[in-house]
Amino acid sequence: MTRRMVIAILVLLVFGAVRMPFEAELEKEHKAAYFHGAKLDLSLREKIGQMGFLAALSGFRAFVADVLWIHAHVLWERTEWGAMKVDFDAVTSLQPRCVLFWSQAAWHMGFNASVAAFEDPKQPREALRLKAQHEYFKLGEDYLLHGIENNPDVYNLYADLALLYEMKFKDHCKAAEYYARTAAFKNAPVFYHRFQYYELAQCPGHEREAYEALLKLYKEGENERLPTLLKWLGILQEKLNVPADQKIYIPPAPNP
Amino acid sequence: MSTPAISIQNLTKVYPIPFKREKVTAVQDLSLTVEAGQVYGLLGPNGSGKSTTMKIVLGLVTPTSGRTEIFGRDSNTVESREDVGFLPENPYFYKYLTGAETLDFYGKLCGLSRAKIRDRSKELLKLVGLENAADRRLGGYSKGMLQRIGLAQAMIQEPRLLVLDEPTAGVDPAGSREIRDLILDFKQRGITVLLCSHLLEQVQEICDRVGILDHGVLIREGVLGDLISIENQTEIILENAPPELLAQIREMIGKSSGRLVAEHRPQKTLERYFLDVTGPKQS
Amino acid sequence: MTAAAPIATKHKIFSPARVTAIASNTLLELVRLKVFYFLLLFALLIIGSSFFTSKFTFQEQFQVLKDVSLGAMSIFTWLLGVLATAMLLPKDIEDRTLYTILAKPVPRFEYLLGKFLGVLLLLFVAISLMTGVFLVILYARQQDALANAARLVPAQALQEQLADIRAATFNKNLLPGIVIIYLKSALCAALTLLLSTFASSSIFTIIMSVIVYLIGHIQAIAREAYLASQTTTALTKAFLAIVALLIPDLNSLTLVDDIVVGNAISTVLFVKTASLGLTYIGIYFLVGYFVFSAKEL
Ligand SMILES: Nc1ncnc2c1ncn2[C@@H]1O[C@H](COP(=O)(O)OP(=O)(O)O)[C@@H](O)[C@H]1O
Ligand SMILES: [Mg+2]
Repeated sequence: MTRRMVIAILVLLVFGAVRMPFEAELEKEHKAAYFHGAKLDLSLREKIGQMGFLAALSGFRAFVADVLWIHAHVLWERTEWGAMKVDFDAVTSLQPRCVLFWSQAAWHMGFNASVAAFEDPKQPREALRLKAQHEYFKLGEDYLLHGIENNPDVYNLYADLALLYEMKFKDHCKAAEYYARTAAFKNAPVFYHRFQYYELAQCPGHEREAYEALLKLYKEGENERLPTLLKWLGILQEKLNVPADQKIYIPPAPNP
Repeated sequence: MSTPAISIQNLTKVYPIPFKREKVTAVQDLSLTVEAGQVYGLLGPNGSGKSTTMKIVLGLVTPTSGRTEIFGRDSNTVESREDVGFLPENPYFYKYLTGAETLDFYGKLCGLSRAKIRDRSKELLKLVGLENAADRRLGGYSKGMLQRIGLAQAMIQEPRLLVLDEPTAGVDPAGSREIRDLILDFKQRGITVLLCSHLLEQVQEICDRVGILDHGVLIREGVLGDLISIENQTEIILENAPPELLAQIREMIGKSSGRLVAEHRPQKTLERYFLDVTGPKQS
Repeated sequence: MTAAAPIATKHKIFSPARVTAIASNTLLELVRLKVFYFLLLFALLIIGSSFFTSKFTFQEQFQVLKDVSLGAMSIFTWLLGVLATAMLLPKDIEDRTLYTILAKPVPRFEYLLGKFLGVLLLLFVAISLMTGVFLVILYARQQDALANAARLVPAQALQEQLADIRAATFNKNLLPGIVIIYLKSALCAALTLLLSTFASSSIFTIIMSVIVYLIGHIQAIAREAYLASQTTTALTKAFLAIVALLIPDLNSLTLVDDIVVGNAISTVLFVKTASLGLTYIGIYFLVGYFVFSAKEL
């Protein structure tokens, strides 16, 4: 150790002290811009092993996540749902900003695994099969809720969650809420703002609200007068007992 | 008197040994002057501090105490290196460069213009006899060729001083002779040369002045002829002396207090002298 | 100073020409070491990655392609930077070419700068080539996907599908992401240069550099723990402080994992991040020079 080396180390320490507040601030800004959201904790290390964890730590977590993702795909072909979930948990911890991962993980749990659980030939009791199916719905919901937590700035997961509530939970109120949140995004496809009212129409107590909203869309012109919109308008008019003279939309045939 | 080419004043260099408390004194209180135009030979056994002295003169190593100058400019300054060319011991140049590219590279380092580099390069390649190898990569050069390209790169910016560390080490006798001739050629052009070598015959042939280092101490220094002459003897070399003259001389010697030792040329090689002064009695 | 009048000096304090000569020679030296074979490996790797994903959706395929490419760029530039820098000085010292260079009127600052710029140039060439290969392959795969979609997707859904394919391939944040990868590898090279002015063997330099690289990615954790100033022992606190102060925060230059999945980086954030990287590079180089300038050669 020469004297210069000692001085050099001192200079590095001073540099460290000077940069520390700047780096702490920059880290906050990075986090605010959704960088560095990965949860690299001990439970993840258990799942992906020492090497994977080390690679993920040293800047290759995207790559580690891909490998696990491909692995999950292999498991899917063998319909090993439980093992898939372990991979999905690791992948989404590693890449919380990857909407695709959350979305697909939720899809596999909510739409594929749930069906498989309901059709499980080894389980004769329907009540238990229904219970298992519902648990997979919940897992799908969990992925989407966590995904939204990490990606509140993109519409896709809101739309996925709305679809899950609509199709699987049959919870039209929540579906309406999440379609509404999807539609609030400027870049979301236009059909979501109609979807929210179709769902709202099926949410008890919100029929009038839905009716008025659909009516407003109807009045906007031909572009909005799509078959489904017309169908719900007709149904709501009947449900709300709208007087015949106030009916704006006259259904072509009195089909129920 | 003009500025000396090299001036070394009370130079001491102590190397620390990493992770140990001991130190090595490579050079101790060395003072030495090389006048412009001289060929100065620095002699000494391995580890006696020759290379260290050269590196300090060139500013490659910082002295522990004392100072060195090249043409009056402190070795610590970058400018002092403008007027000196250096060929280190066993140099390897960049193997992937050709002879011409090597000279081009060193020319650029000296801040020479493109045209100047081209001219100098051509001239030097001719001088060192590598014209035909100019476009060959150094990876394929023999040891002797490497030393010669090394001399050429040292001379690229026309320095007035050349510092050569063992310029003939590892070179075969013929190659060695070529290098000796080149040094003599440089001397002819008025270039000062500081060299160290263990090939004492060569040193004897080309050096005007020598200094002998042992364990970092300059133990002898002076004009080569003075150092190796035998002080209480006189050599008279006659040409075409008739026998009568020789008889007369012998007679005169007989009458004087002198004594005729031998009638042939007294011989003492530099090598003998070198071994005498650096012999085991010292250590 | 001596009274002897020095010869009129033509020496320049700093000469870009000398630095350029050393830098381009260093680049040549590194290129001659056939370091660009790794490019072949890179191309094979990213083409090979598509082999594993042929059964996946195009989004997944493109994502894996991008992850693998940018991950490989990160690791290759880092390795290249560390290995090239670690052998730079020891090789010149061992071959004594360093003596022939510094015996010319070349300040040590210019020598070290030239060497370092040579490495930066090498890294630049390497990352440019890899980016080129990556973009060409990504473009080819995109065109392929677009052509397939045009053939298979029904007309009413086609426009949306094509837009999705385009969105899944090129994204304007990739370029800043690649610039950050470059800066990170340059930082690691500067760090290695600094370490090599301390060390005497390249192996030691490389090992140290790898260790700092690994710790550098979790430095932020140490910093947070230190700043949080919870009740820990003085010893723990001191340890955290040393890690936070001495080790670079490499995580702050690890943005590409998030960028590759579509996370956007604002210009302001990019500039701040890049400035931090450049500051590190500058400081490490200068401190390295400070040690090197008085080093026994
Ligand atoms: N960089 C160094 N670190 C430590 N000791 C050194 C260094 N360079 C030379 N020495 C020691 O200094 C002494 C003189 O070496 P040197 O000048 O190379 O001698 P010579 O050239 O006469 O053979 C030797 O004992 C050598 O071991
Ligand atoms: Mg020597």
